[in-house]
Amino acid sequence: MAKYVLYRLGDAIPTLFLVLTLVFIAMRILPGDPALAALGPMADPVQLALFRERMGLNEPLPLQYIYFLWDAIRLDFGRSFISDVPVADLIARNLPHTIYLTIVSVLMGLCLGIPFGVFAATRRNRPPDNALRIYSLIGYSIPDFYLAAILLIVFSLQLGWFPINGAGTGFWDGLHHILLPAMTLAMLKSAFMGRLTRTSVLEVLGRDYVRTARAKGAREGRVIYRHGLRNAMLPLSTGIGISILATLSGSVAVELVFNRPGIGRLLIDAISERDYPVIQAGVMMFAFFVILVNLVMDVVYVFVDPRIRMKS
Amino acid sequence: MITRRTLLGTAMAATATGLYAPRVRAAEPDTLRFANSAGGPRKLDPNQITQGADSWAAAQVFEYLAQPADGDFGKTPDEFEPWLAESWTTSDDARTWVFTLRQGVQFHGGYGEMTSEDVARSFIRARDEGVDSSNYENIVSAEPSGKYEVTVTLKNPDPLFLGSTVFTRRTMIISKKAEQELGEAFATQAVGTGPYELERFDSEQGIFLSRFEDYWGEPANIAKVECLYIADTTARTLALISGEVDMAEGVRQPGWIQQMQQQKPDLQFDMTVPGSFNTLFFNLSKDPLQNKMVRQAIAHGIDKQMIVDALQPMSRMVYTLNPPNYPTGFSEEDLPEELRYEYNPEKAKALLKEAGFGGGLTIPVNTSKREDYSTQHLIIQEMLRAIDVNIELTIMDHSAYHGSNRQNANTLNINSWSLPPVPLFVYNVYASSAANMNAEGTGGGNYSHYGVEMDGVDPLLQEMLQATSFEGYIEKGREVELKIQEDLPMFGLPTLSFVVARNPRIDLGYEVTGGNAYWRFCRASITTA
Repeated sequence: MAKYVLYRLGDAIPTLFLVLTLVFIAMRILPGDPALAALGPMADPVQLALFRERMGLNEPLPLQYIYFLWDAIRLDFGRSFISDVPVADLIARNLPHTIYLTIVSVLMGLCLGIPFGVFAATRRNRPPDNALRIYSLIGYSIPDFYLAAILLIVFSLQLGWFPINGAGTGFWDGLHHILLPAMTLAMLKSAFMGRLTRTSVLEVLGRDYVRTARAKGAREGRVIYRHGLRNAMLPLSTGIGISILATLSGSVAVELVFNRPGIGRLLIDAISERDYPVIQAGVMMFAFFVILVNLVMDVVYVFVDPRIRMKS
Repeated sequence: MITRRTLLGTAMAATATGLYAPRVRAAEPDTLRFANSAGGPRKLDPNQITQGADSWAAAQVFEYLAQPADGDFGKTPDEFEPWLAESWTTSDDARTWVFTLRQGVQFHGGYGEMTSEDVARSFIRARDEGVDSSNYENIVSAEPSGKYEVTVTLKNPDPLFLGSTVFTRRTMIISKKAEQELGEAFATQAVGTGPYELERFDSEQGIFLSRFEDYWGEPANIAKVECLYIADTTARTLALISGEVDMAEGVRQPGWIQQMQQQKPDLQFDMTVPGSFNTLFFNLSKDPLQNKMVRQAIAHGIDKQMIVDALQPMSRMVYTLNPPNYPTGFSEEDLPEELRYEYNPEKAKALLKEAGFGGGLTIPVNTSKREDYSTQHLIIQEMLRAIDVNIELTIMDHSAYHGSNRQNANTLNINSWSLPPVPLFVYNVYASSAANMNAEGTGGGNYSHYGVEMDGVDPLLQEMLQATSFEGYIEKGREVELKIQEDLPMFGLPTLSFVVARNPRIDLGYEVTGGNAYWRFCRASITTA
């Protein structure tokens, strides 16, 4: 297993390299001057020139690329053009918020989506199944930022149950602040997970071993959860992986609407301000998480279905 | 892609469907919360601030040697009042300024009493190390001439020195000792003498201030000030309506104030007049804008009153580069008739025909997606269509827009900037050949290439620079203003006020009529809990 993980990690290096290269090129192609963004549109030309010099923006592009790669290998992303704070500090301050949001919303999404999916699968073509179909359709169609704005207006502004801005301080205040943003993402995830669970469980419930279990007189709950859901876990774990990645990317919009700190908001600000070091580090973080989540899901498959290990 | 408009639209839709009945939260009893429209604070050191939003905190923490009454700029030298300086004298040639400092003024954090060393250092660092250092090149020296006396010597006379240099963000007075001791950390932990001191600089959430108990003057009424950063318009708006914040930076787009008033009728709106100058630059290096008749036709094709009406109540009419309430600005009546460029589509068409464009013409123009820019460009596009001038508008993000302007890639760009009533400064950054923008991106804000592609106002600016009296300075400035109006390398569009929406529980303690796009809170009070 360790050899497999190492092999997969090694596999990730070219992917990261490609992502870094694409980000570097994209940022240089994008119109807009980082010096102007940092010092303001009416900044003194002398100061602009000094800034470009100090930040190495006057170097030939191939040289900038080599410096950039060398720094990336050493995990040194330099300092933000805008705030002059080390990028590592910015990431360290924002990343926990994004991870926290992702974990809470994925957990909420799973807790809502999986039982709902099982419930619908066991009542095929009956009202609960139809309800899930409608819920899933809404969940697939509604954009996350739109749902966020609606929830914000209803639950924060109208009912006053949740705060509107920020991440709060301390555990309980933090939890209070995260519930609504997490619920936004969770509702979308649960629509997806519910639909996936329903399909997977339905497929499994038609298998011979389920029929055998029923013929042996097993209780329906045991049939569904022990024989049905457990065997549906393989496609579900793929879905969970996709869900985590979608939540990470969805956090960008949610962090903006709820004005929460996080990598998504950091990246959006950095892009509008042409803050190259922050963009490069932020995108690399996202790419790293995509690779990590995929790797973890591969490992999870082995535990969920030991036949995979045997085949490999 | 999320846009502010989409999100605000959501809020509006909810309003329309009756979902909306905001529940006002209980506000902190002795805290004023202000929401900026920026992602997060960058710097607090007044000499390093590059983001306007950070000036709000700086204005509470730092002070000037002299300043006008709260709520406006000082437009003449006699409108400035002693502040950290008790008095000052100036030489006949307006080159030497001696300031006598107030005694007993304490810096925050136990950094001791303010002396002439601190003041001299504040001026010198603005000249040598600040982000606008070239604006302070006129300072030859700033030296202590006693423990409580500073002598500033200038290269050229400056009868408006108080407005051009003393009352500017870069020369707010800092503690020299703190600067030396804190080193790089001074950027976010800068130490001043103001009525509020820094409690916490949180780069994700904001700048948190508390009342400075050893303040030399009248202590601040409200114990705490929180300068929060909420870039998203919807989030900021909802925070204000719900009472989570007391004041929030407004959105400069048509109908915003009216929409807000519908949702919360008791909201107050403070705004600066003129606020931002909006200047339309004709790029004289691009065809056919070298042709003065084409420029005149465009000027006659723009109905400025319509722009004012569309952006009411934030917009004010201008007739020249400077607004009428500035010393070198002109009212309509003061201008010769041929320089008024009144809206006259027929005259515009005739001028185009005479210039050889009777069949109309097409001009590609870049604009920023920021509301104040795109709104004006879209209105102008529509107006010019009526005179057969087709504006092919490309809307881009704000950084890309300014990047394209600085690389000579635009033709009719608008620049919006909150400029002080310091005429020489305005002309130096917009109209002097030294500020000529060049395609390498290393030039200044003269996007027209005025003084390069055609004769400009450099000789007049040299004369203005040598004026030793305020009256002489203004007289020469008005000549510059008329010359620009006649040559028409740029065209003043209606101004746009900087707007802050305020919960009525906060009384600012004074009326905002003009001034910088940030103001002080020390006289503010909470009228209801």
